[in-house]
Formats: sequence, structure tokens, C-alpha cells
Amino acid sequence: MTTIAANPADLHDHDHAHDDHKPAFFQRWFMSTNHKDIGTLYLIFAIFAGIIGGAISGLMRMELAEPGVQYLQGWATMMQGSEATLDQAYHMWNVLITAHGLIMVFFMVMPAMVGGFGNWFVPIMIGAPDMAFPRMNNISFWLLVPAFALLLGSTFVPGGSGLGAGTGWTVYAPLSTSGSVGPAVDLAILSLHLAGASSILGAINFITTIFNMRAPGMTLNKMPLFVWSMLVTAFLLLLSLPVLAAAITMLLTDRNFGSAFFNAAGGGDPVLYQHLFWFFGHPEVYIMILPGFGMISHIIATFSKKPVFGYLGMAYAMVAIGVVGFVVWAHHMFTVGLSVNMKMYFTAATMVIAVPTGIKIFSWIATMWGGSLTFKTPMIWALGFIFMFTVGGVTGVVLANGGVDDNMHDTYYVVAHFHYVLSLGAVFSIFAGFYYWFPKMSGRHYSELLGHLHFWVFFVGVNILFFPMHFLGRQGMPRRYPDYPEAFAYWNEIASLGYAIMAAGMLIFFINIAYALVAGRRAEGNYWGEGATTLEWTLSSPPPFHQFETLPVIK
Amino acid sequence: MNAATIPNDVARRNKRAAIIALSFALGMLALGYAAVPLYRIFCEATGFGGTTMKVSEATASAIAVTDKQITVRFDSNVSSALPWRFKPENPTEKITIGARDMAAFVAENLSSKPVTGTATFNVTPVQAGRYFAKVQCFCFTEQTLQPGEKVRMPVIYYVDPAILTDPDTKDIEEITLSYTFYPLDQAKKGS
Amino acid sequence: MAFASWTKSIGFAALVLVTAPLALAQTPPAPPVTAPTPSTQVAPATDAPAADAAPADAAASALDSSYTPMAPTAGKGMPVDKGIDFQKQYSELGEYAHWLDTSVLLPIIVAISLLVLALLFWVVFRYRAAANPNPSRVTHNTTIEVIWTLVPVLILVGVAVPSIDLLAKQYKPAPASAVTVKVTGYQWYWGYTYPDNGDFEVVSNMLTEEDAIKSGEPFQLAVDNRMVVPAGEPIRIITTASDVIHSFSVPSLWFKMDAVPGRSNEKMLIIKEPGVYYGQCSELCGARHGFMPIAVEALPRAKFDAWVRSQGGTVKGDEVAAAAPAAVPAAATTTPAAEGAAAAAAAPAAAQ
Repeated sequence: MTTIAANPADLHDHDHAHDDHKPAFFQRWFMSTNHKDIGTLYLIFAIFAGIIGGAISGLMRMELAEPGVQYLQGWATMMQGSEATLDQAYHMWNVLITAHGLIMVFFMVMPAMVGGFGNWFVPIMIGAPDMAFPRMNNISFWLLVPAFALLLGSTFVPGGSGLGAGTGWTVYAPLSTSGSVGPAVDLAILSLHLAGASSILGAINFITTIFNMRAPGMTLNKMPLFVWSMLVTAFLLLLSLPVLAAAITMLLTDRNFGSAFFNAAGGGDPVLYQHLFWFFGHPEVYIMILPGFGMISHIIATFSKKPVFGYLGMAYAMVAIGVVGFVVWAHHMFTVGLSVNMKMYFTAATMVIAVPTGIKIFSWIATMWGGSLTFKTPMIWALGFIFMFTVGGVTGVVLANGGVDDNMHDTYYVVAHFHYVLSLGAVFSIFAGFYYWFPKMSGRHYSELLGHLHFWVFFVGVNILFFPMHFLGRQGMPRRYPDYPEAFAYWNEIASLGYAIMAAGMLIFFINIAYALVAGRRAEGNYWGEGATTLEWTLSSPPPFHQFETLPVIK
Repeated sequence: MNAATIPNDVARRNKRAAIIALSFALGMLALGYAAVPLYRIFCEATGFGGTTMKVSEATASAIAVTDKQITVRFDSNVSSALPWRFKPENPTEKITIGARDMAAFVAENLSSKPVTGTATFNVTPVQAGRYFAKVQCFCFTEQTLQPGEKVRMPVIYYVDPAILTDPDTKDIEEITLSYTFYPLDQAKKGS
Repeated sequence: MAFASWTKSIGFAALVLVTAPLALAQTPPAPPVTAPTPSTQVAPATDAPAADAAPADAAASALDSSYTPMAPTAGKGMPVDKGIDFQKQYSELGEYAHWLDTSVLLPIIVAISLLVLALLFWVVFRYRAAANPNPSRVTHNTTIEVIWTLVPVLILVGVAVPSIDLLAKQYKPAPASAVTVKVTGYQWYWGYTYPDNGDFEVVSNMLTEEDAIKSGEPFQLAVDNRMVVPAGEPIRIITTASDVIHSFSVPSLWFKMDAVPGRSNEKMLIIKEPGVYYGQCSELCGARHGFMPIAVEALPRAKFDAWVRSQGGTVKGDEVAAAAPAAVPAAATTTPAAEGAAAAAAAPAAAQ
């Protein structure tokens, strides 16, 4: 991949002189133009949102632990301050699933991967002093805060049968238009607008940075794979989010200003909304996983003490996934009444994605083949990622078959599938990246023991949580149900048990972070040794406030 | 990092890259909106989603009549917000492919107020849409019915003989034409 | 005709009352309506033109119009406790799709997952630092890269063949003679209309827990009025919705189709044998999305006809048996009338 000519010691000395120029607290954190500080803000934000989104899934698993509606009515009563009816309780359920989905997608995974790790390491890895537009970077982050506030706020205002937006994260019309009276859905849509604007600005920033700010000698074909993954992700964001923005703006005008884009009564078509949503929605799932691919490549290479196998194949596989990701959207709509030719096309196109994905999986294994493997915390997360992502990927091939999907669509099989690729794929890669770079970002080592413990408890937990959902889905249990027939009780109880184990794993994570920040051993510049070859390892831990004032030269 | 420390030429290139990127985003935004008319045109051109074809008298009279027959079913729906009875005169009719035919729906205002309705429609199986041609119909025409008024709404249509040669549609023995009536104010209000 | 069975399906009562002359001939008066529908639920007035069929004469009552809801068979057409597989399929296409999953896709995906797992275990074991202190620098091997690109392509092509074939079969249109059922999704119940059998609509609500237990059916799957269809015959199912999008889904028949307001969808279904097959709404449709189940009851043809009559509907050929005086309901016509006038429709029937 890359060889670094700049003498790390030189850089360090050079930058050291500027360490004292950190701005004061308010200036530094609220008006930050420093990519590393903004990255840190994003990570803190993602952790905060992840706690809320994770807590919501805890409520959901609590309710689903056994048949019957045990808690919803109580929670709805708490939320609205008056005795909740059964319908309000059921609406509460829809609010929970909606909030969980939106928070995890827009406020946890995306901020962590793109905003957090992307901001932190893209400039460093390409040898740039900062992002191309530092102030715009700051705006991107601070747009997320009111976006999140709007989403949380929407749960306290009427949204149809009860308080909050209960439309699902997909916000399908006409449930989201005529089906949800009250301002909650409007607030949720505005929240998506802000989050989308934030991401589009971020994407413009990343694209400009990666194209223009690379250090001399850092050609595209020498760029670290994480940067490649961020470049593809930024393009996906740039091309897909505006379509979502258009779609949800039309929802907003349908709701409030009498337009009829998706309203059959006025000559609109609700199915068009689904086409627009999934034209965004499918690239979105790659937005959530591609940066993870990049991070996993670095981690596998580092702990195998070997360069990545098939670098170009890896980079182009990501480009291919990104491109094909734009032409498969209707596989989310197999039951909506597509014509036979459409369904055949989307079946075939979707299966094609398995090929570049397979290339990545096998290339990671080939990277380890012949290597000298050490099993530090990031590495076991990366190994967990490869297997879990494979499991989630192959069930995707099953779902890609339109004829088979007729039974699985909107069942727990789908829930299992996308949690395997996201909750066990994307989230595992986030943890892998976090453990890989945490000492670099904070200057402190965490406890390896706790890191391993976190992995094993979390790994066991999420598998007990999500694997039984395959069974439930095959048996026919539909998703987004607050209650279920007795026959589904057994696997639901197991899944809820898995949640408890996973939550315990998260507790270990937070203890580990607290330990590292308070008492962690100080980290040296390149604490992973010879396997770690990208530019961030030439800097101190944490890196100086301003790095690369003299640009490094890459041979 | 201050923006000022970025060399001028890089700053200029950055600006250009950002503007190009932004125009991509704006282009996609425009495409998002353009999707609405494009989707309609696409549906009308290909019969996607069971969209029927609208043809002129001239086109209709140029169609060759075959000796094959097909059943056409007429289906009617009324929004719960519209106090109308709306039914086809006959639920099904057996017609000759290529021959022009007329079917009629009967709408009746059951309320004591004048009410205006408007209809939406499609045919199933959805593949049949591109071969189901309407020469004249009440689709989307605003219909105002006085209290208790009963009107007959004719649809003049034919089934294109090309349906017999398309492998996706040649096995179709029955086409359903489905109408749904909505009150106009509801359509205008967009809810 | 057991009195008790009627009390279990009160929703029918209204329709029974409409068709009183017919129904009274064989059944005790319908019990008072104590609708077991969810509390706030108001079923819309069925637009029952069945009333038109009321002047059925003595001859009509000779036709069998008895109907007792079928008791479900445990484990058939419903999820089973601790189940991990698909529900047993009762349609040929369902069996085909189930085969495609269980005999083609599942073995492949399990094999791929196990292969990746085995490779991971192998590299972890063989190339751990203690066993292999000096890493190789190999980063390319064209042969292996071509293999792991081409082999998945071949596997996918292999999968695509039956997959595309299944799709083609699923889109086979229903014959003109198929029984047509129009399924309408409402917030939050289902309506089943039989346009060729008198155009009556059956409104189907979920049974409460007590009522479900009383009728020996699984709670949250049991409904008051089922969608009754003939077994072994093609059924044309047309779905639409009145308010928001719903999805009509029956897992044991491998059938799922969205019900979209303002448009209709159509698909053919053939149920192999009589039975009760349960399903649930499968598109988020608001608060009670989880509480609008589907129950399809497939009956032998004769019993289906009897059920239709018990609903006040008409069966093709009935008008002949009824000697067809003046009162042939226009809605029941199956005559190949060319230009659509109701009078013309009645004429051939009378001529017979």
C-alpha cells in the first residue's frame, strides 16, 4: 500500500511547537474547525445516540420477551401523563421501532463511521493538515444536534393514534401522510432533513479533501483502503441523500400543503414514494457498511503483519458495490405489485452484489493467510465481523430471490438479516475501529482483558439475540408487531435473553473506556508495531493539534 | 487548522471540487422531484403498475379486430369519505380482442349534498396495462353529483391484439379494470 | 348446523339476517349480535347487494346453504411452537419455493458460512504469531482471485435458474374461470368481497382472546369471519386498501401481496387441500397493525357453494335451479353479454 518517507521524529518535533495553540474550551469544542476535535465530537455524539437507541431496543425486547402486552400501556401512560388506551399503547410500539431505526441509522452508525472515524483519519491517512473545509465540517456536526433534538422532541407531540411518529423508519405514505395526524411526523421529517443536509455537506467535504488534499505522491492507487471506502461512501451520500430529501419534502407538502405526490386520491402514487425512498435506502445500507470494510482491511493487515491482499481488487470491489447499490432498490418492494420482468431484474441484480462482497471476504482471509497473527482486541472484533457479516450476507442472497422473498418479506428473517449485517457487521467494525484507534485518539491504552471480555460477551449476546429471529421469520412472524401468537414465544424469549447478555457486554465497554481515560497506560505513536503502516502511526498519540504542516512525501 | 493556511491554489481547487460536488447533489435533488413526472410518463409509456394506455379515436379505429376473446372484469371502490354508491353495470364482460367496447359504471350520490368525486384506476394483472387502451373514460374527470343523483359513466376501451404476442401476457384470460373514487376535497387537501 | 357454531361467528349474523328467507329455512334465528370484534371497532356496513337476492323462492332453499366454520388442525396453516423451518406449504408454488430455499439456498449459504468459518479457524490456528513468526509478503495471486470471483458467479447463475423459473410460475395469470376474491385492507381489519357470487363483502376482525380460546383457535390468528375459498381450484386474489398500505400474507400458502390504496394487485392462488390457513398483516399500517390477522378457509367445492349461499351470495347455476323467475340478480350474471346492459344480462338466463 503506502510507504512513508517522512521521518516520524521530524514530524513530531515540528508539530510539537504548535501544541500550545489549542483554543480555549468553548472555542475549541463549539466552534471547532479541527478535524480531530470534530471527529471526537461525532464519536461522543454517536455513543450518546447509541445509548438511547440501544435502550429503546431494550424496551422492545422487554415487551417481546413473552406474549401479551405487558409494558407498553405503562410507558405510553408515562409519556403522555394520562391513562393510555390500548391503541395509544400500540402506537407507542410503532414510535419505539421508528425511533430505534432512525437513531441507529442516522445518529449512531453514520456519525460514528463517517463523522467520527472519517474525520479523524481521512486527513491524516492522506497526509493532509485538515479537511478541505474546516468550518463546513463544524456546521455538519452541529446540524446533527438539532436534528437529533427534533427527532427526540417528536415523541412528545401527537402523531396519529398516540404521541410520536409511528411510521417506521421508512416513513411510507400514506401512513405517514393521511395516516398520521399531528406534528410528530413533520418534526421527524425535518429531523431527517437536517441530518441529511449534515451528511451532504460532510460528503462534499470528504470528496474535496480526498481529491485535492492528498500529500505529494499519495496517488489514488496508493490511498489506504479506509480512504477509498470513505470516498465511495461520500459519493453514495452525495447521490442518494438528495433523493431522500426530495421524497420527504414531498411527504411534507402532501401532509401540510395539499399536494398529492403520493396521495392516490389526488392522482399520486404511494408506490412512487417507496421507489424514491429505497433509491436512497439501499445505497444507505452500503454507506453504513463500506467504512467498516475499510477499517477491517487496515486492522486485518496490521495484526497479520502483512499488506492487504489484492489491494486494487478490494478498492474496486467497494466501487462496484457502490455502483450496483444504486440499481437494486426495488428488492425492498418485491410484494408491492411489480411486474414479472422487474422482479426478475431486481432479483438478478441484487444477487450480483454477492460477487464483490465475496471478493472482500476472501481477500481478508487471504491477507491473514501466511501472516503472523496476533489477537489484540481490534483483531478479534475484525474476525468476528468477517464471520458475522458473512452470515448476514448469505441470508441476503436468500432474500434477493423475489419468489422466495414473497414469504420472507416483512418477517423477522429480514430483521435477522439486516441486524447481522448492521448490528453484527457495521457495529462490530465500529468497535474494531474504536479499539484500533482509541489509544491513538486519546493517548491512553484500554484494558486488553476488558476489550476481549467485551467482545466475547457481546458476541454471544448478539448471536443469541438475532439468530433465533431467522427461525421466527421462517415460521412467518411479521416484523413491527408488539405482540405475537403463543407459537412464537419460545424464540422471542431467547432473543430477549440475548439482549440482556449484549447489554452486559456494553457495560464492560463503558467500564473499559472509563478505565482507559482515568488510569490507562500512555500510548506511544505506533503502539501496534510493524504491521501498522498508514500515516496515522507516524504521529504521536494523540496526534498533535495540527499535523503535517510540512506535508509528508509518499513514495 | 485555519482555512488561511491552505495554499491559495489548493483553496481554489477545493472550491471548484466542492461546487462540482454540490451540483451533483442538487442534480440528484432535482432528479428526485423530476421522478414524479418521469414516473408518470414511464408508467403511461410502459403500462407499469397496470397503468392503462390512453389512445385517440384515430389510433383506436386503426386496430385490427381478432377472433380471440378475453374477459374484462370491472371493479369499483369508493373511499369511505365519499357518500356514493359506485358499481359497474356488469361485473364481467367477454369481449373480442381488438374490438372497441363500452362498459358503464353507475354512480349514485347517497347523501343530501352535492358531492364531487374523482377517480384513480389501474388494471391487473399489471402486465396487461400496456395493452389495455381507453379511448374515452371518466378517469379523473371531476364528477359532481347532486343529492340522490344517479349517473352512468361509460368507458370506451379495447384490448390491443399485441397482448396475444407478448410472452408475459399471452396467457391472460381475464383483465380487471379497477376504479377507486375519492371525494375531490380530500384529493385537494392531500390527505 | 350447530347453534353454537353460529355464536362463534357472529359477524355472519348480519348477513344471515339480510338473507333471512334462505337462512331461516335451515337455521335457528341468529343470536343477538354481541360482536366479538375489538372494542372500538365498527365494521362498515357491508354494501351487501345480497339484499337483491332476497326474493329467493322455495326452490332455492333446496340448495345446500349450511356452513359450519372448520376447526383448524393443530400445526397446519399456522406457526408451531419452537419452529425453525417454514410452515408446511399447501400450494404447489409454495412447495416449489420451499424446496428452493431448503434444498438449494439453505445448503449453499450454510456451506459458504461454514467454509468462511473453517478458513478463519485455519488461519487463526496455522498463522498465529507463535506458529508463524515471519509473515509472508504475498499480496497477489491472480489464479485464486479469478477463482473466488468466478465460483460465486457460477453459484449465483445456478441459483438464478430455479429462482427465475419460480418467479415466472408465480406470475401465471388466473384463468377466466377462477373464483375471484377481492381483498380490501382497512385500518384495522380485512374485507373479502366475492364479485362473482353476489358481490357480498365478508368483514373479518380478530377474535378476542376468550373467543379464540372458545373456538379452539390460536389467539391473534383467529378471526370472526374467514375468507372462504374452494380448495384445489384457481383463485384470483385482487388486493386493494381503503386507507393506508396493508399486506395480505399467508405463510403456509407462500402468499404475500401488498394492498395499496388507489390501485389493485392480482395474483393467482391454488390451495391444495381443505384446511384453515392463518396469516397476518405484513405492512406497517398503524396502531393495530399487529392485530388484523388473516384466516383463509379452503373447502371442497360443494361446501364452498353452500357457504356462499349461507352468506346470501349466489353460485353459478343457482339461477337455473331456482327456475329463474323475474328476480335474477344482475350481480350474479355470468353470461357472456356483449354490450353491457343489465337487462340483456338477465335475458339469456331466463331463456335457459
